[in-house]
Amino acid sequence: MHRLYNSLEPRVMDEDMLKLAVGEQGPREEAGQLARQEGILFKDVLSLRLDFQRHGGGFVGSCTSAAWIPQCVGIKLYPNLRLEPAKAPAPIVSDILRIDSLWEFENLTKLQLDNNIIEKIEGLEQLVHLVWLDLSFNNIEAIEGLDTLVNLEDLSLFNNRISKIDSLDALVKLQVLSLGNNQIGNMMNIIYLRRFKDLRTLSLSGNPIAESEDYKMFVCAYLPDLVYLDFHRIDDHMKEMAESKHQYSIDELKHRENLIQSRLEDEQAQQEELEKHKAAFVEHLNGSFLFDSMYTEDVEGNKLAYLPGVSELLQAYKDKFVIICLNIFEYGLKQQEKRKLELDTFNECVQEAIQENQEQGKHRIAKFEEKHLLSLNAIRDESELTNFEMKIVEYGKDIMELFNVLMTLEMQLVEQLEETINMFERNIIDLVALFIENVQSLMAQCRDLENHHHEKLLEISINTLEKILKGDVDEDLPDDLRPLFVDKDTIFNAVGASHDIHLLKIDNREDELVTRANSWCTHLVDTIHKNEIMRNRRRVKEINQYIDHMQNELDSLECSDVID
Amino acid sequence: MEVLKEKVEEEAAATEQAEVAERGEKLLRPLDARREEAPMTQEMLRDLEKKLSEIEIVVPEQPLTFTKDSIDISKLPLSYQSNTLKEEHLLQVADNFSRQYSHLCPDRVPLFLHPLNECEVPKFVSTTIRPTLMPYPELYNWDSCAQFVSDFLSMVPLPDPLKPPSHLYSSTTVLKHQKGNCFDFSTLLCSMLIGAGYDAYCINGYGSQDLCHMDLTRDVCPLTMKHKEMVREEEKVPSKKYAIKPPRDLSSRFEQEQEMKKQEEMKGQEEKQRREEEARLLEVEKAKIDPLHGLRVHSWVVVLSGKREVPESFFIDPFTARSYSTQDDHFLGIESLWNHKNYWINMQDCWNGCKDLIFDLGDPVRWEYLLLGTDKSHLSLTEEEDDGMNDDDDVENLGKEDEDKSFDMPPSWVEQIEISPEAFETRCPSGKKVIQYKRAKLEKWAPYLNSNGLVCRLTTYEDLECTKTLEIKEWYQNREDMLELKHINKSTGLNIDYFKPGHPQALRAHSYVSMQPEMDRVMEFYETARVDGLVKREETPSSMTEHYRGRSDFLSYRHVDFGPRVKKLSLNSAESNPRPMVKITERFSRNPKKPADEDVAERAFLIQEERIQLRYHCRDDHITASKREFLRRTEVDSKGNKIIMTPDMCISFEVEPMEHTKKLLYQYEAMMKLRNEEKLSRHQAWESELEVLEILKLQEEEDDAHTLAISIYDTKRNEKSKEYREAMERVMHEEHLRQVEAQLDYLAPFLAQLPPGNKLTRWQAMCIKDECLSDFKQRLIDKANLIQACFEKETQELQKKQQWYQENQVTLTAEDEDWYLSYCSQAMFRIRILEQRLNRHKELAPLKYLALEEKLHKDPRLVEFLKVFV
Repeated sequence: MHRLYNSLEPRVMDEDMLKLAVGEQGPREEAGQLARQEGILFKDVLSLRLDFQRHGGGFVGSCTSAAWIPQCVGIKLYPNLRLEPAKAPAPIVSDILRIDSLWEFENLTKLQLDNNIIEKIEGLEQLVHLVWLDLSFNNIEAIEGLDTLVNLEDLSLFNNRISKIDSLDALVKLQVLSLGNNQIGNMMNIIYLRRFKDLRTLSLSGNPIAESEDYKMFVCAYLPDLVYLDFHRIDDHMKEMAESKHQYSIDELKHRENLIQSRLEDEQAQQEELEKHKAAFVEHLNGSFLFDSMYTEDVEGNKLAYLPGVSELLQAYKDKFVIICLNIFEYGLKQQEKRKLELDTFNECVQEAIQENQEQGKHRIAKFEEKHLLSLNAIRDESELTNFEMKIVEYGKDIMELFNVLMTLEMQLVEQLEETINMFERNIIDLVALFIENVQSLMAQCRDLENHHHEKLLEISINTLEKILKGDVDEDLPDDLRPLFVDKDTIFNAVGASHDIHLLKIDNREDELVTRANSWCTHLVDTIHKNEIMRNRRRVKEINQYIDHMQNELDSLECSDVID
Repeated sequence: MEVLKEKVEEEAAATEQAEVAERGEKLLRPLDARREEAPMTQEMLRDLEKKLSEIEIVVPEQPLTFTKDSIDISKLPLSYQSNTLKEEHLLQVADNFSRQYSHLCPDRVPLFLHPLNECEVPKFVSTTIRPTLMPYPELYNWDSCAQFVSDFLSMVPLPDPLKPPSHLYSSTTVLKHQKGNCFDFSTLLCSMLIGAGYDAYCINGYGSQDLCHMDLTRDVCPLTMKHKEMVREEEKVPSKKYAIKPPRDLSSRFEQEQEMKKQEEMKGQEEKQRREEEARLLEVEKAKIDPLHGLRVHSWVVVLSGKREVPESFFIDPFTARSYSTQDDHFLGIESLWNHKNYWINMQDCWNGCKDLIFDLGDPVRWEYLLLGTDKSHLSLTEEEDDGMNDDDDVENLGKEDEDKSFDMPPSWVEQIEISPEAFETRCPSGKKVIQYKRAKLEKWAPYLNSNGLVCRLTTYEDLECTKTLEIKEWYQNREDMLELKHINKSTGLNIDYFKPGHPQALRAHSYVSMQPEMDRVMEFYETARVDGLVKREETPSSMTEHYRGRSDFLSYRHVDFGPRVKKLSLNSAESNPRPMVKITERFSRNPKKPADEDVAERAFLIQEERIQLRYHCRDDHITASKREFLRRTEVDSKGNKIIMTPDMCISFEVEPMEHTKKLLYQYEAMMKLRNEEKLSRHQAWESELEVLEILKLQEEEDDAHTLAISIYDTKRNEKSKEYREAMERVMHEEHLRQVEAQLDYLAPFLAQLPPGNKLTRWQAMCIKDECLSDFKQRLIDKANLIQACFEKETQELQKKQQWYQENQVTLTAEDEDWYLSYCSQAMFRIRILEQRLNRHKELAPLKYLALEEKLHKDPRLVEFLKVFV
């Protein structure tokens, strides 16, 4: 390391420095004049270089400290324009210690920060369009701060002090990764790189792991899609050898990865299923979930279940209850389908109507423009003043007519859509109401069942109580049940409490369903209305803008004439 | 036979009633003949009239009948010249059947059972059918088969149009002479169809005059018929639940109705006029009434449904190769039909032509069979079959009991039908055929017959007399420029050429009036074969329009307007003076990767005004599109600096104004880029012009050159491959000769010394062997001596030179020295080689000697003597 930064002043990146860097190059010659005239906005810059380079041979001998000269070249402006990169380096004489002030360069795709003394990767969060990032020859110790750079394809961290590969999860598009001359010592770091499906080029030479005998084989075996390793192409023979050598461990690894993958997929599928049920407002109703929840908080009920004859009763009750739940569930899904179909048809129809209307509008405009070209030429060529004025007036009329036609079309569409939307609104509300009604009647069945069960339970409890009072106590009566059978009130209260809890649960579930269904409905209708209003406003604005433009053109013609 | 009897009774009754049971009156008569229930006198008059007309018509010149003299009978195989026992038996059976038939149905014409063949031997018609599957895949289907037969043979009318011919030649003879009558045609076609697996039958019956004379002048040419456009039923999309209601219609319904009425009236009148016109035309076209209608004998083929997935029975006329439904008007009656296995007589009434006939050959009421026991029990009802059994009893009663029930048809006497590939390719006799249709003439040629590759020409005429040409269609084959069809419209003068894939510029079609450049023309291309994806290029004298598809730069359209050519004063040739371009318009399809506001939809370069207009694509939810217009002005401002870019040089309308596009820098860059692209577009337009010239030149050359492409698989025509093959054969032959030479007979000179013809004695053999060996030894020694002599000579010479060198060393020039040195080295080389050869010879000589000795021991001529000796 013969870096001479000791004699240099470490600096934090600031706006002046960036301005200088940007201003130094960019467009040249004629375009450069224009650029200077107008100034360049940071956000238009696509590529920026802030690295240090040994400047000119003549300097080397005499000045040691000033030999490292930062250069900012190759600013690219605008996606479709190519500018000449600057030839002359900028005379900034300092090393960058901290990355900062870069947030304005929001469209930057290429950033070079090599040959500085940066210690920490930071301040790059805003540069989400970055594709190419060079941080080589710095003093970075850990990979961090790259979580937002999802478009990054080429990352160079050559010659730093990194000891562990991690925090790269967000970089799904990574193709080239350069990590040479670092302090990576654990072979297992390579396994981390398996997640980058597009990774083709990797350099790791100059790391402790690269000294290992098995290094190349290991990398080839664990990263089979890799094409270049340490700037050499991996030949097929090598790949085969590596594969056969590490076959067992890789198979195992693959197996594990597959397992994880499938588990993830399963979970996802389940989640999706649940989402679907939720959309139908009947989640968890395809089983005994509701019934079970009724008994989870019901202490007395659980206790009473130990009474002779109650367990059978409970079982029968549960079976019936679950059947009703299933009914609700299936009905809910069916209704959901119906609603979806309704909504789809509606959207389709509305879309069609809008499309058709747009086509008409486009057609009108095309026709107008054809005429407009002709009349503009005619006006330009017209020499006689009276004719000229007449034509201008005519043209103005045409514009007004176009405006009227377009607005009429739009108003017509608004009317038509309003009618349709209202119809849809009525239908969807009816659908939801019907759904709620039917669910409520099913829920009422649940309640009936509960009441029935309650009566039976009460009967058994009273019988038991009488038996206990009479003295012929069942031996197998659980101990914690005994306190309940003290007198009639206690047992009444216990059974009643259990009953109340059950009813409450059922009511809650029903309320939840009804509320959600209703709110969904209102929300949907609101969104549709809002969207329609937005659409209308946009179209009106568009038409006005267009007409204004036409009018302006006409006005400018008149003006020019007056000047002439 | 009860059925037959009944039928006869019926017939008798009918004839009695009608009193038209004249001799010679046919059972199978058309409707009009039967209905006539006129008084006797009139009937007789009519008859007389008919007979008179018969006399007139029967004497047609017969230029095409081929007489027996042209057939060399002696070369025909034996089966042609005589009958086998089984065939004799069959003929007896047939005679018997015929007698019974004429007895039972006295009013019907005699059966066509066993005409004479080319050797004057009677042969049963079924045995003349020789089922053959042709080795050409093209002949596997009935339509191509029929087309081949009709193309290959030329038609000869029947000697007597009212009678079946007395002779029926074998198909082999017919094929050899390439002509025949309708019976020859249908026999050959039937043989091929049965061979290909169809359920086909020859029919002896009655046809219309047009049919019998192969007269197509009243038929529309099948090639001129337009394909009926498939009327696609527009599926009515059921109006959706939420479809919007159309805006209220405010126009008056009454007015609409009035308008409709008026239009309908107009239409009605037009329709009426058209119908009248059609009726008039029909009148003109209608043929004059044929006096022999219903009496003309014809033979054709019926293909019954069932085999080869034929869904419905149909007729094939072998003359024209056209298929007809069994209800067609042209077919007026059937006497009998046969295939290679059996013979059936039609017992159904043909008063209505063939329209009511039912082709259920298993039904003995409708079809009387000749041989029992062969298959064909199409009749589905079992009960009826029982009836059939009863009928058989009746047959016995009628004296048919002697017929051998298990008797089946003897094999065909005809040799295998063979068509040589040359004949198959040439098709028509002498490779040319002309067919006259109604308002059309079709000419066909064999491929390679015409030097320009013409194989077919269809000329359509405006009038029935074929005097005014309407249009000409010419089909070509094997053209090097892949020209397939040339369509010349005489009335408009428009030519359209169609090409197959493979033209150097991937041309698909070219329509033009004149071949001069810069005229109206349309060229279509196979766009997938072209790098630039050009689909179509239209030209007018002042513009050129190109359509593209599937380009990576999304260009879909380019239109170039040319101005009048500027006259140059200098003496430049016309080529270097292209027309100036006034305007180039280019359209692009949507590039889904770019946002709509940056994706140019149309750009126009107004070259002389130095103006560039851009129109961008419209966003999905918008109705207006961004526009931009660049004006170029090279002006100088007040300070004398060049103005680079000013805001008024770029007028733009943006749907959604953006910040960066307002900048002068952006506009400047955009304009610079556009100006580069303008140059490119101009260049491309210029290249297109050049290409047109090239295509025209190529076409002209091709029309002059007349070279036809020859497939590499075509061994006969492919001169190159033929030459190569012959050369290869020659080389092989020479190689063979050399090999023969190589196996020299080392004993030959010694054997030649012995008196010829004598057998070798052992002593002689011994002598020969010894002589041979000693001779060989001598030769080896001679050779060694020769090498030795050479060696010595070389050595001496070298020594001499060395001496000379040593003597004259001082006076030698450098050149001489060089020469000497090189000589020395060469001489040394020669000496060394000779030495090596000598050594080698010494080594090998004994081995060679031993080898020869062994060879002599094994020599077949000497071996027996020497073996004993050893």
